[in-house]
Amino acid sequence: MATTTGPGLREAPVKPGAGPATGTRRRVLRALRRDRGAMLSATFLLLVIGMAIAAPLITTLTGSGPDTLDPNAINPNLGGAPLGGLGGISLAHPFGVEPDTGRDLLARIAYGARVSFLIALSATVLTTTLGVVFGMLAGFFHGWVDQVISRLMDFLWAFPSLIFMIAILSALPQGNRPLLLVIVLSLFGWPYLGRVIRGQTLGLTEREFVQAARVSGAKTRDLIFREILPNLRNTVIVIATLSVPGYVGTEAALSFLGVGVVPPTPSWGQMISGSLEWYQVDPMYFVVPGGFLFLTVLSLTVFGDRLRRALDAGEVG
Amino acid sequence: MPRYIAGRLLGLVCILLAICFFTFAIFFWLSPDPALAVCGKTCTPLRISEIRQALGLGQPFVTQFWDYVRGIFAGRDYGSGADLVHCSAPCLGYSFQSSQNVWQMITQRLPVTVTVAAGAAVLWLLIGIIAGVISGVREGTWWDRAAMFVTLGGASIPSYVLALVLQFVLVVKLQWLPFPGNVGFLPDPGLWFESYLMPWIVLALGYACLYARLTRSNVIDTMSENFMRTARAKGLPPGLILRRHALRPALTPVVTIFGMDFAGLLGGALIVETVFGLNGLGQLTEQAIASNDQPVIMGVTLLAAAFTVIGNLVVDILYTYLDPRVRITAS
Amino acid sequence: MSGLLEVDNLKVTIGGQDVVRDSSFAVDAGDTLGIVGESGSGKSMTALAVMGLLPRGARASGSVRFDGQELLGRTDRQLRALRGDAVSMIFQDPLSSLNPYYTVGLQIEETYLAHRGGKRAVARRLAVDALAEVGIPEPQERRRHFPHQFSGGQRQRIMIAMALICGPKLLIADEPTTALDVTVQAQVLKLLARLQAETGTGLLFISHDLAVISQIAHRVVVMRDGEQVEYATTEEAFCAPKHPYTRALLEAIPRIDEVS
Repeated sequence: MATTTGPGLREAPVKPGAGPATGTRRRVLRALRRDRGAMLSATFLLLVIGMAIAAPLITTLTGSGPDTLDPNAINPNLGGAPLGGLGGISLAHPFGVEPDTGRDLLARIAYGARVSFLIALSATVLTTTLGVVFGMLAGFFHGWVDQVISRLMDFLWAFPSLIFMIAILSALPQGNRPLLLVIVLSLFGWPYLGRVIRGQTLGLTEREFVQAARVSGAKTRDLIFREILPNLRNTVIVIATLSVPGYVGTEAALSFLGVGVVPPTPSWGQMISGSLEWYQVDPMYFVVPGGFLFLTVLSLTVFGDRLRRALDAGEVG
Repeated sequence: MPRYIAGRLLGLVCILLAICFFTFAIFFWLSPDPALAVCGKTCTPLRISEIRQALGLGQPFVTQFWDYVRGIFAGRDYGSGADLVHCSAPCLGYSFQSSQNVWQMITQRLPVTVTVAAGAAVLWLLIGIIAGVISGVREGTWWDRAAMFVTLGGASIPSYVLALVLQFVLVVKLQWLPFPGNVGFLPDPGLWFESYLMPWIVLALGYACLYARLTRSNVIDTMSENFMRTARAKGLPPGLILRRHALRPALTPVVTIFGMDFAGLLGGALIVETVFGLNGLGQLTEQAIASNDQPVIMGVTLLAAAFTVIGNLVVDILYTYLDPRVRITAS
Repeated sequence: MSGLLEVDNLKVTIGGQDVVRDSSFAVDAGDTLGIVGESGSGKSMTALAVMGLLPRGARASGSVRFDGQELLGRTDRQLRALRGDAVSMIFQDPLSSLNPYYTVGLQIEETYLAHRGGKRAVARRLAVDALAEVGIPEPQERRRHFPHQFSGGQRQRIMIAMALICGPKLLIADEPTTALDVTVQAQVLKLLARLQAETGTGLLFISHDLAVISQIAHRVVVMRDGEQVEYATTEEAFCAPKHPYTRALLEAIPRIDEVS
């Protein structure tokens, strides 16, 4: 994963709305339904999210939780490698088992999905809120408000975020790890959206329909909520959607390095890290979480990209 | 123009100070006693208090911070008498765990990281931009669609996953490349190249895909600009139209993006170096974090931040030369 | 006597839709033909068809003869030799029609160099002369300036200079004054008229503004929805229009002595 801001965010941001917001939800949904890439990724995502939500149910069904040791599934003579081919896939363990402990991979993937999505979605919500609020304040009020907020964004943006996140997380005591991750990810993530929103708000406040509303005596609050915010909607949707894969990837990277989600909570990054010493003997232990991570990030990015295209198509002409 | 640069340099110093302050504060409040980390295994309360003295840990926060900043410009002494350690400017701290000046530790590891980063940058710029231009010019053709499909995938692979896959396939199974190691350029440039090839690919792939998509998007936008129509109406040969009229507007924004990315490379290098076992700055940082060697963490963070901010400034100045509309005219 | 440009039964189709239906007209050397109509009437498409610059997916049929040679069906390479040299075109928005990254001097010179070759210095001198011809003050200095450093009217003059540098026989102007102030408009029209008189270039002038057309055109084509509804001399068209649409257009012009 190249950057902490995620694969899809680099491309040109969505153009802001051209006036009073038009009802586009149905059109966008229709466009998405017709797009094969969007449908495939959406299907995969629903599957994974379903797995995450139903994790306790899955555990009950298979009888193995994420931490249930199963010594019968591993071969002590081979140093703890899983019995059977493909990393120990069997009816009892549809995705195989973890070497050495025999823990069920399906359960660990499902619970890992929980953690990843929880963190990524929470961070996205927090980042979007902060970005929109501060971006709009800066773009709307100009003056010293803009100066202060812009300096703050520059300051946070200048941080070598990955290094700093690693440093902070390793320095912090064990506590509610996911919560800490969300806070740290959001702290360095919101300036990107903030900058974009600020730019678009600046542009919008100069436009005729906002000037017209202002001149006809509209209150500030109405201006913000009725004229500006609706026209930022598409940009916010696209950036929020495309932030999620970035956060999934960053959380996985941090967990891989040992500073993100720490045991006993399972996480895909953690599992990949653990698979390093086994990948010659049991490559499946690497393939399963690695594959899930890759496909999840890919699906999120493809979906976000198609969504952006569908939204963009509406605003033109 | 000089006034603009001076202003930006001032802002740069302010931001760096702020980052320094913030980082310092975080470690001050949050991390466990650094004296303990230094003390190591044979720890007695007496030794701990000696270390605290030497590091000046009893002082109030502001004093400690001020000492640190001063040390950056003027050098600094730690401890006293027989234990005196002098850290000459620029003193980014002294690592008691490794008994080394942090700046020294950084400069020792820097060449490896620069090799990894610079090589990757060349790779991703070449591949990304060329692929992006071809895609943009041939919009809608099978090449374009295939490229966009591939780049989406390539940008989604976590670098450590890619690293392990490549290593497994290229080194273990096919044995086409050696395990990446710390090989100097001499005496065997061929081996040097082979050793760094995988780290370069891993670091570059994600960026190359992003740049290909970005360049393609810019080229497509540029091709639909009115001045392209004018160029065609003038009967200019297509090659000239592409080279002169399309590439400048399309590639100039890529420069800005590159500035941002190059500065942020340290984070990516950290992961790559960790996975491949290269002893560059990234690995140094990883080890420092694992052993809670605060001076090193502090020093590296500051350095990376400086890179980011300076990189942004360089890019902004470069941009004023590249885009005539932005140029700060004397009129 | 063959005219400079002869268009017969021109039809332009885009995506199944006819945007120009059966258009026929001629432009002689030294003459000005005005094509007038509302947006979407097909006037710009006609011009692009002549230049061979139709958008991707557009098809043109019929006959377009320039200097006796048929243009439709020629390869792009053959047409390129004519564009900018024998036939030039200027567009509506001069700011976006000039490349902001290069000096105006370069953009004029490159046209000359592409068609005539030769030395840079020669092209440079000709460009400076061209800038002077169209009324840009201090042309030696200003040829090193960028498009955004000029006013709207000056930019259009630069476009004209760029179009005339190779001495074309036909100049096509697509709404060249629409984006300009009225006073600047008049200056540009005067410039065009003067240059035409001096060089004997044929002018195909497209506009939606009847007043402008009446000032500059000898003959007029009126278009509506791709259909050519009127083709006559300016006098005939404006004083005794045959088609009701033309009449309606004329009536729509607000007059200062009307009170309603």
